[in-house]
Amino acid sequence: MGPTNGGESPVQDEPFLVERARRGDREAFGTLVGRYAEQAFAVAYGFLQHAEDSEDLVQDAFVRALERIDSLGRGSPFGPWFYRLLVNAALNRRKYLARRRTEEVPATTSSRESPAVDSARSELRRHLASALGSLPPELETVVVLHDLEGFTHGEVARVLGIPEGTCRSHLFRARRILRELLSEYREHG
Amino acid sequence: MGERKDERPIPELEGLRAPRLSGRDRGRLHERILLVAEPILARRRSPATSWDVLAKWARPGLVAAGVALLVLAGAWQLRSDPEPAAQQVALSDALAVSESGPVPALLLASNEPDADAVVVAALLESQAGRVPSPDEQR
Repeated sequence: MGPTNGGESPVQDEPFLVERARRGDREAFGTLVGRYAEQAFAVAYGFLQHAEDSEDLVQDAFVRALERIDSLGRGSPFGPWFYRLLVNAALNRRKYLARRRTEEVPATTSSRESPAVDSARSELRRHLASALGSLPPELETVVVLHDLEGFTHGEVARVLGIPEGTCRSHLFRARRILRELLSEYREHG
Repeated sequence: MGERKDERPIPELEGLRAPRLSGRDRGRLHERILLVAEPILARRRSPATSWDVLAKWARPGLVAAGVALLVLAGAWQLRSDPEPAAQQVALSDALAVSESGPVPALLLASNEPDADAVVVAALLESQAGRVPSPDEQR
């Protein structure tokens, strides 16, 4: 799904791996973790904007997936099901974290530029992250999966369980709102 | 114009992308997930015995049995201690003339009168040419 794991072309051996993981096969589960963990981290980061929280979330999502793996239909692709679980967990976690703390978005760019440019960039990131978080959950999810993580509309639609056309219109609306928020920020600082 | 613009991604969003995990970070995350998942995998490896199944159902079973016992006890209580049936005023009691005539006697009775008693009392009262006042009726 996305650039690394096939949502469009599900990996052939995946139902077999899921079946083995269902029976407690560590190696099969490890293979699924190896396939999805990195992109799961990137998706989690898109929502949480914090590396450690994102790692925690990915770990919890895999554990939850293993606990509920019996609810995944035989032969159904693991990817969309797992990402749905991850996205829901990310939205819940962010709500929980927002209640607990108001932490600054950490800068991830190396500071080769002047402190003023760095500070302006990190301010813009903070603003963007908060604008993204202020979108309705389904719009935000479409932006994170499509624009940040490169999922196709078909893949996003499968994760969210919505038609592809709805996914496109969600993305269109989300971008328009984000552009408005961004231009307001640029005008008023 | 604006619509065409909204079909394009917002370049500034690039800044919200996750940092790339190094090989070491990936390995660490992988190990960490497998470590936490191990007890669940172990549980899945060992087939459930009949005792496991029984243990799983023990709590809901006990709750259901408790509820059933409560319902039975309630039903038993209702059957063994029935509410006394409402006793109707006998015709003779209704006609017993008190100081103020048959109707007040009827009204003072603690149990409800039967239809005959009411009709007879009303007839007697009308023959006597006395209509009880609303206060008396109350």
